[in-house]
Amino acid sequence: MKLFFIVFLNGLTLASLYFITACGFTLIFGLMRTVNMAHGVLLLLGAYIGYEVVEMTGFWVLGIIAGGLSCALVGAFLQAFILGRYQGDELRQTLITIAISIILADFLLWAWGGLTYQISLPEMLQGGIRLPLLNVGYSVVRLTLIGMAIVVGVLLWLLIAKTKLGIIIRAGVDDREMLQALGFEIKKIFIIVFAMGAALAGMAGVIFGSALSISPGTDIQFLLSSLVVVIVGGMGSVGGAALGALLIGLAEQYGLAYAPTYGVVFTFLIMVTVLAFRPQGILGRAEQ
Amino acid sequence: MMPDQLLKIDKLNVYHGSSHTLQDIDINISNRPKAILGRNGMGKTTLCSALMGLTKAASGSVFLDQTDISSYSPESRAKTGIGYVPQGRRIFRSLTVIEHLKLVEKKDSRWSIEKIFSIFPRLAERRKNMGDRLSGGEQQMLAISRALMLDPKIMIMDEPTEGLAPTIVDDVVELLHSLAEHEIGLLLVEQNISVALEVASDILIMLNGRIVDQVTAEELKSNTQMQQKYLGINFA
Amino acid sequence: MSRTLLLIVVILIILPAFISDFWLNQILTRSIILGIAALSLTFLTTYLGVVSFAQITLAGVAGYTIAYFSPNTTGLGIELPWLFAVALALLFSTLAGAFVGAIAKKSVGIYSIMITLAISMAFFYFTRQNYSIFNGWTGFSGITAPVAFGVSLEDSLVFYYATLLSATAAGYLVVKFTSSPLGLAVQGVKDAARRVRAIGIPTTPVIIAAYAFSGFIAGMSGVLNVWQQERISSFSVGLGPTIDLLIIAVIGGMRHPLGAFIGAITYVLIDTFVIDLFSRDRFNMIIGLVLLFIVMAAPQGILGSFLSAQKRIRKYDNNAIKRKIKNDCEI
Ligand SMILES: Nc1ncnc2c1ncn2[C@@H]1O[C@H](COP(=O)(O)OP(=O)(O)O)[C@@H](O)[C@H]1O
Ligand SMILES: [Mg+2]
Repeated sequence: MKLFFIVFLNGLTLASLYFITACGFTLIFGLMRTVNMAHGVLLLLGAYIGYEVVEMTGFWVLGIIAGGLSCALVGAFLQAFILGRYQGDELRQTLITIAISIILADFLLWAWGGLTYQISLPEMLQGGIRLPLLNVGYSVVRLTLIGMAIVVGVLLWLLIAKTKLGIIIRAGVDDREMLQALGFEIKKIFIIVFAMGAALAGMAGVIFGSALSISPGTDIQFLLSSLVVVIVGGMGSVGGAALGALLIGLAEQYGLAYAPTYGVVFTFLIMVTVLAFRPQGILGRAEQ
Repeated sequence: MMPDQLLKIDKLNVYHGSSHTLQDIDINISNRPKAILGRNGMGKTTLCSALMGLTKAASGSVFLDQTDISSYSPESRAKTGIGYVPQGRRIFRSLTVIEHLKLVEKKDSRWSIEKIFSIFPRLAERRKNMGDRLSGGEQQMLAISRALMLDPKIMIMDEPTEGLAPTIVDDVVELLHSLAEHEIGLLLVEQNISVALEVASDILIMLNGRIVDQVTAEELKSNTQMQQKYLGINFA
Repeated sequence: MSRTLLLIVVILIILPAFISDFWLNQILTRSIILGIAALSLTFLTTYLGVVSFAQITLAGVAGYTIAYFSPNTTGLGIELPWLFAVALALLFSTLAGAFVGAIAKKSVGIYSIMITLAISMAFFYFTRQNYSIFNGWTGFSGITAPVAFGVSLEDSLVFYYATLLSATAAGYLVVKFTSSPLGLAVQGVKDAARRVRAIGIPTTPVIIAAYAFSGFIAGMSGVLNVWQQERISSFSVGLGPTIDLLIIAVIGGMRHPLGAFIGAITYVLIDTFVIDLFSRDRFNMIIGLVLLFIVMAAPQGILGSFLSAQKRIRKYDNNAIKRKIKNDCEI
């Protein structure tokens, strides 16, 4: 029973990371229809930068901000100067993001090597606490992570539901052309949203590198998890990303705990089942 | 005073692949509302979309109020003063009525949300409703309001009465009449001949991507032969 | 084009007389095997309008089948006569193709990329975790090409011809398939799923058939590959080879079956030679830049660019001829 709950918490932790990462991915997809295959490598970039900044300054929060900001800059650059030129040609954009992820991943390997890095946590978050009722110790940073995912989710929801930018983004998701015809500079909006999505990836990278550790390969793990999460939850939907992340995160951890040989089968079965009954994902909207 | 030449279209050509959808379109619009009539597939929507910059023209130019806007992006055209009410209305389905209006709210516009709500009380009642929960008539009012809020010099309206109940068609017609009072030009695309005759003083006939005839509303009203020939309408 | 094709085949038949074993094995044979796999991808892209990341998986299914049913040094599997093993391999890869199609049937364009990638990675992780059939991440080794009809496919020249024959057969099958009624229905689905449904052809079986067919072609490549490499493991079906195949297809161009092979040989040449000019460690950087360049500058790939340049030159020639005729007449 204890194992069951510990695994549940582990699942939630993983789901939190998947959620923050997939949010950025789904945001970009929802508005621009670009499958950003460079999302994972952006996460890795953010993690490395976060690591350097934390090493240099000793401030963890600064690391998160730096990781997010640097990825936002790279993302904005990519959209403004490369991807934006091929707007409407989604396949080409996707191929470009594949090329960029290959190049950037190799660059990161060259710059940071094949080592495993762990970003040091502030003292406050180190160690564990004894959970009431269960009477087991659990790491503080992992619990914090769950809290952060909730905060990110709420902030994103507020942004999209309550602000002018949110209205613009939703309108763009519904009908980009019409938004243009109302005088909105779609290119600028695309750059902003791409930067936001990339920033989320970068921050997730720093958080992941603190709670666990980062190394080449982390990028692929998170790219794949983002893909599966949005396929399951529904493309372009933040709520869907939350639900998908929860399902996949829990499935992976329970799989690992109870059937380690076939863990991946659970994830796969969830995806296939969802696709069979709701091809647009659980909370996704059908294409018209 | 509105200028004599609000919108000038000069030898506009549009292709879809190898098919020549718009052929040498020349239109001048002054302060008098103009309507384009034509059956399905004649190129009316393509013309509107090309005027808005959403469809690329192969050649030709468009002037708005003496400014050459041919190379402008759709967003710049909107800012320069074209209000677009597209065919099918294209309401954002995940925005509420009030969000639609907030989206296009401008400080110095002659049109405020309150003013819109006083013209369309129905929209005020439905302010919290999502776009896809509105009736066809409400969507049309919202689409028109959305374009008006940008304070345009001219409105381009693509079949605004399509699929509406007759009483609502009358409301729309009344509203179109009032545009002139606000010194807003109008290019109206219609298949509903009686709406076009009622609203516009000049009628252009579009056939297979060309403007084949230009008549006054009076002329067309009396000329049933012409009506039959171009529009396939048989009046009893 | 068909004359050119014939010429290419003739050249490829006599080429081994002039080149070293290294060129034969590592460049030509390898390129053709990769080309067959890429062909299964370009077929789907051109005719069904989907970009599939699952083709390496399908090839892998065939490869693992051969490994399992052939003598190997892993001590796993059952030995079968090679023809049975090949038949099973192609059957399984075709079925796997149908399975992928059934999962991805509602997805076109970019959606198909995401879903097929997820499928292929699921297969990759599965092969790493499963020891009873796939022998975990180490996979199978010591597989040898069989003696077929009295000749040993282990001989590099024989194997080269077998590969060439397979490639020709694969190309022929693709051309035949696309002009068959089923193939035309597949293209109809790409152009307008709704219209095809309206004239009474259900789309799902058509899509599944297209994927299954691509599985068959990919399977051919998978069989040859495991014979040439003499081993197969989870790495053979990982993300690396999966993306490499896409790069090959993009480099060559997707419109014509030949593009897959042109892409493959270009890729192999870069992999073998260009890399030495720089550093082998930076292979990914270079291949990434090549991909970026092709996608941005020549989206139709090498073959596509060549063909459209040829067309332009022809047009120019025709115009020149017309002018000449006109001048002559005036005189
Ligand atoms: N995006 C497009 N691609 C190809 N053909 C199009 C496209 N849009 C319109 N057409 C063609 O252009 C012609 C004119 O269409 P349209 O402007 O919608 O006519 P109308 O509005 O008068 O009914 C039609 O024959 C239509 O098939
Ligand atoms: Mg129309």
